[in-house]
Amino acid sequence: MNTTSISPYVVETDGLSKRFGERTVVRDVDLRVPRGSAFGYLGPNGAGKTTLIRMLLGLTPATAGSMRLLGYPVPEQRTRALARVGAIVEEPRFHGHLTGRENLRIVAAARGREAAGLIDGALDQVGLTTRAGDRVKTYSLGMKQRLGIARCLLADPELLILDEPMNGLDPGGIQEFRGFVRSFVEQGRTIVLSSHLLDEVEKTCDHVAIVDGGAIVAQGSIDELRGDGHVVFVEVDDTDRARRVLAGNAAVERVVDDGHVLAVSILDARAVPDLNRRLVEAGVAVQRLELQQASLEQRFLEITTRLENAA
Amino acid sequence: MTTFALPAPRLVAADVLRLRRNRSLAVVTGVLTVGAVAVTIAVMELMHVASPAKHGPAGGVQNLGHVAFLIAMLGTAAAAIVGSRAGAGDKDAGVYRDLVVTGRSRVSLYLSRIPAGFAFLFPFVAAAYALEAVSAVVFAGSNPVPDARLLALTGLWTVLEVAFFYLLSVAVAALLGSRSYAIGVVLAFRLAITPLVASISALGIVRELMPGVAMQALAPAGLGHAARQGPTVPMSIGAVAAVLIVWAVAAVALAGWRDVTRDA
Repeated sequence: MNTTSISPYVVETDGLSKRFGERTVVRDVDLRVPRGSAFGYLGPNGAGKTTLIRMLLGLTPATAGSMRLLGYPVPEQRTRALARVGAIVEEPRFHGHLTGRENLRIVAAARGREAAGLIDGALDQVGLTTRAGDRVKTYSLGMKQRLGIARCLLADPELLILDEPMNGLDPGGIQEFRGFVRSFVEQGRTIVLSSHLLDEVEKTCDHVAIVDGGAIVAQGSIDELRGDGHVVFVEVDDTDRARRVLAGNAAVERVVDDGHVLAVSILDARAVPDLNRRLVEAGVAVQRLELQQASLEQRFLEITTRLENAA
Repeated sequence: MTTFALPAPRLVAADVLRLRRNRSLAVVTGVLTVGAVAVTIAVMELMHVASPAKHGPAGGVQNLGHVAFLIAMLGTAAAAIVGSRAGAGDKDAGVYRDLVVTGRSRVSLYLSRIPAGFAFLFPFVAAAYALEAVSAVVFAGSNPVPDARLLALTGLWTVLEVAFFYLLSVAVAALLGSRSYAIGVVLAFRLAITPLVASISALGIVRELMPGVAMQALAPAGLGHAARQGPTVPMSIGAVAAVLIVWAVAAVALAGWRDVTRDA
């Protein structure tokens, strides 16, 4: 695949903000999306994910800050930038009375002359060739999602921006979608995927930015964000006493008690035998002690808890 | 690299495809134009055949005027439906943002809808008028037969009326971002507000600012009062042209500005 820029980042934003009246929905965002990555933009509903995507694509203006897509400043050079960008914003929408192929013809007409020649290949790539002549109103959500991807492929995109693409998909559809993302990355394309589903981002992406309240609170590779942290799942006869014992230990970052099992975040796995010893010495009967590497979800909870405590 | 400033022919063709493949739109437009004319002529001729002494033939100059007025009014309704579909169909379907993210300029997307919708609408209006013109001659019977000049002027006037309100409908739909509101606004403006304003003689020259009033003043004199609704406000050709051009340019420009500046 040909590329348009030698910049290592396909998306760069500096101090990007968006306000609606008194309400700030995107706050001073400095985002760097590495070329050739599957990048998750992860945050709860209402965190400003869609608004950021809409600003990048020129659907709504930014209140402050600057953006570059594929090395081009936007909105100043949005035509150049968007020529090699495909996007699905919110759920994919189509003219229901037109066939899948006709819907692609409409968008191909808005793109350059060469886009019409990519329609068959795009339909083939998403497995919709046999249904391309059917009206879109007869398509399932999963098929519409695939047609949305085919529409993106008409740009022969260096960058695909997908807003909550897993919403409404069944497990088979999610797995299929994950396969599309990985295959696009292998083709040298960059995927930016916004989602509130931590598990999906962890399984699909290799880089992530965690956003909360419109601001990025952490970004980097998934491995970097997971860090060296581990979680020890501790099952005991007295969780209250165990929590008090563990909370006083310097190796322990955080203890979450679900009533039966304690999830204990620690920085160093070598601290586990010491934790076990201290529990036993305190008279706590330890039934299970299971060490796991921290998941992105646990890191996300730690980060957001720290922010809540700081507020 | 192209700036995508002007509507490319393929963009217009794509918009025509979007309209043409909408069966319900084609049926409604056909019923309001060709269908209405065919039924009107058929009913008039059948009544004439059934009772020649009581009902005159379906053709002739006067009936040309009556049916031309019918085409203008129902054609305006069709124009409101097609124009609103052309102007706001992408937004209603939720695909406008997908067109914007192609990088194509919004001005280009907006301007492509105008010729596309008219390319869809014009064959219906032309067919309806062609049917009427032929009937006016063939079924003239004892009535005066319209000459070629009157037929041509009436045809131009009919198409101009429909085209103007089509253009207004595209603009109102783009301005409001809603098909249903645009249809309501245009039909209320043309079919209710315009005759009301025209009938208030105390308004004097202000009435001339209404495009429907200007259109009525433009109706071929040879048709007499047959193609008119309510009182006619006399206007010069220059005044008519000025009113129609100002309305058209202002509506298209305002809607274009709104389309470019709104969140997609």
